[in-house]
Amino acid sequence: MKSLKIKALVILMIMVLSIMTACSGNSNEKSSGSSKENGEKIELTFWNIWTEPSPQNEASLKQVEKFMEEHPNIIIKQQNIPHDQFKVKVKTQAAGQQLPDLIQVFPGAELTPLVDGELIQPIDDILSHWDGLINEGMLGDYKVGDKQYALPANVTPTSLVYYNKAMLAELGYDEFPKTYEEFKTLVTKIQDKDIIPIALGNKAQWVLQSSYISTIGDRMTGSDFLTSVLNGEKKFTDERFVRAVGVIKELADMKAFNEDFNSIDNIQHRDLFVLDEAAMMIDGAWSLGPLLEAMEDDENLGIAPFPAIEGGDGNPEAVSAVTGTGISLNSKLEGEKLEAAQEFLKSFYDEEYYSDLMKADILVAADIEAPEGVSDALKEVSEIVSKQTSPVYDATVPVDVTDAINSGLQEVSIGTLTPEELAEKLQAAVDKQK
Amino acid sequence: MHLLSRNKWPAIIGLAPAFIIYVLFAIIPIIISFYYSVMEWDGFTEMRFIGLGNFKEALSDPIFWQALKNNLFVVVASVFGQVPIALFFALLLNRKMKGGKLFRTIGFMPVVISTVIISLVWGMMYNSRRGLFNQMLEGVGLENLTQNWLGDPKWAMISVCITMIWQFVGLYLIIFLAALQNIPQELYEAAEIDGASGFKRTLHITLPMMRETIIVAVILCISGSLRTFDLIYVMTAGGPGHSTEVLAMYMFDQTFSSTRYGYGSTLSLFIFFFSLGLVYLSTLILRRKSE
Repeated sequence: MKSLKIKALVILMIMVLSIMTACSGNSNEKSSGSSKENGEKIELTFWNIWTEPSPQNEASLKQVEKFMEEHPNIIIKQQNIPHDQFKVKVKTQAAGQQLPDLIQVFPGAELTPLVDGELIQPIDDILSHWDGLINEGMLGDYKVGDKQYALPANVTPTSLVYYNKAMLAELGYDEFPKTYEEFKTLVTKIQDKDIIPIALGNKAQWVLQSSYISTIGDRMTGSDFLTSVLNGEKKFTDERFVRAVGVIKELADMKAFNEDFNSIDNIQHRDLFVLDEAAMMIDGAWSLGPLLEAMEDDENLGIAPFPAIEGGDGNPEAVSAVTGTGISLNSKLEGEKLEAAQEFLKSFYDEEYYSDLMKADILVAADIEAPEGVSDALKEVSEIVSKQTSPVYDATVPVDVTDAINSGLQEVSIGTLTPEELAEKLQAAVDKQK
Repeated sequence: MHLLSRNKWPAIIGLAPAFIIYVLFAIIPIIISFYYSVMEWDGFTEMRFIGLGNFKEALSDPIFWQALKNNLFVVVASVFGQVPIALFFALLLNRKMKGGKLFRTIGFMPVVISTVIISLVWGMMYNSRRGLFNQMLEGVGLENLTQNWLGDPKWAMISVCITMIWQFVGLYLIIFLAALQNIPQELYEAAEIDGASGFKRTLHITLPMMRETIIVAVILCISGSLRTFDLIYVMTAGGPGHSTEVLAMYMFDQTFSSTRYGYGSTLSLFIFFFSLGLVYLSTLILRRKSE
């Protein structure tokens, strides 16, 4: 009897111990790491957002494959995580100091905290490798202070007006309206035909910010406004900014959008446009590829910048744009691992990658000749963007101010907040930063 | 009982693994939350001690109060929606009738379907342009009753709650049915001899016998509704304009999207204390009634 009890006790103890070691075992494994056990091979971990099978992602994944073929002693261990979860994961893991060796980073306001927390290291030593390929002017979004933390692959205008040429022609428009007043007339004319003037899906709340206010705000305030606000030289309560928010309110009030714009997402609003239920759509260049694929008649797709607004300080032709697909190096990398990672960057951002991206209807940050087979629409976008680009709000202001803008614009669109109140709210959020 | 009084050790050892896991994954995180809640921390740079600053901020944060109000709305809608409806159907299905099993299965089905699927399907049904509800209303000539269900702040919360009630009625239905089957038949037979019939039997035998189960259901319902997250997150993402924002979602947004770990922890503590208080209060009220 007694021995049975002891046996039971021993088994229980083993169970408890095994549970406890199982909990702690994981971290041991990680730290005793790769290089020793794998002999000569160097292993680099890499997180990115290339999950969907889009041409852009395939081009990116191809670059990783190519690098591993050319460097058999280096293994890139990837984790592909969907965009929204990726951002949450990075923020959580960064809090526990557990970032991978190579990490996809987003420019501006998303990059700064990583730099401030000393989680990533600059790449200035190897920057000269890309002299002549990437223009100095394209590097800014990934610069913090005077140090470069990543390279851009693509340039993404976030705010283009896509329109249905046939529908507009039917209403007597050969070209897209040049001024906001004419634009409003167009909206009412479309409404009379019982068609949705502008397809919008703002359930996730960033669309009105990224694709609307980034450009409309710039028309009114000029491109230095956001940095001035963050410096404390100007305030969000500036009359011109309030008027820019008023434009969104006005469009919502005149029912320029589909009625359910706050309960559908941006993919669904693209569908409305593709299915000819809406005559226009204000969206980023990320929709270009999918649109060209889905539309029966490419020729029917018109693209224009948002029209000029009277009385604004900004360039009436500017379009908000941001560069993307940067890859940063973990600040802990050193020695041969660091060299391998730098080698990876050099091999990744090469001319072939940029020309692959262009074939996938993506504007690139590099100065290269357009390869054959690039769509007319992409050339058109490139033409629009070449005039002037303006900052995108969520890449410029800190994240919690972005959150305030996102939810605030939605409130303005349903009338529970006035543009003046939103401006005050935003200024309060900026003041709290200090 | 006498088994335990003889030797406590086997019981203690037997409970140890569960206890260790519970402490490791429930108690310690709550304590850590306390620690974070007095800090200003973005997860990237150094933590900074700010005392009760986060608590003060939460109390003067209009969105926090809005989220709390919405949460209370969910609690009230769930308790007064889910429990009575489930009880009604349980009493109905407890009789011997044809197809009883089928109805039970149908009633329970929403519980086993993933919440994300439910949210997507109901989202489509609520759609104001081509959703099922508005089309049905139009079909019977009630165009003036059609609404922008999820896009109008007046209706969004109500719409979301209706889905939530639909989703969980089945769960309580099964719990109540199980309780009903445990009521001894002799009681009913005795009542019959005394001449009590139908409604009287339900009122004086069935309901009192089920009191404990109902209390448990109400508590489950309250704590469940306070944690509600996924359904609303998928259906409206808290919008339009915070009109369906609930505490758990606001906490998630503040922590992981605005990267304010300290403030997020403070909000989670508020949820913790709030649930504790509400559950305690409800047991107090329900128990007192039963005595």
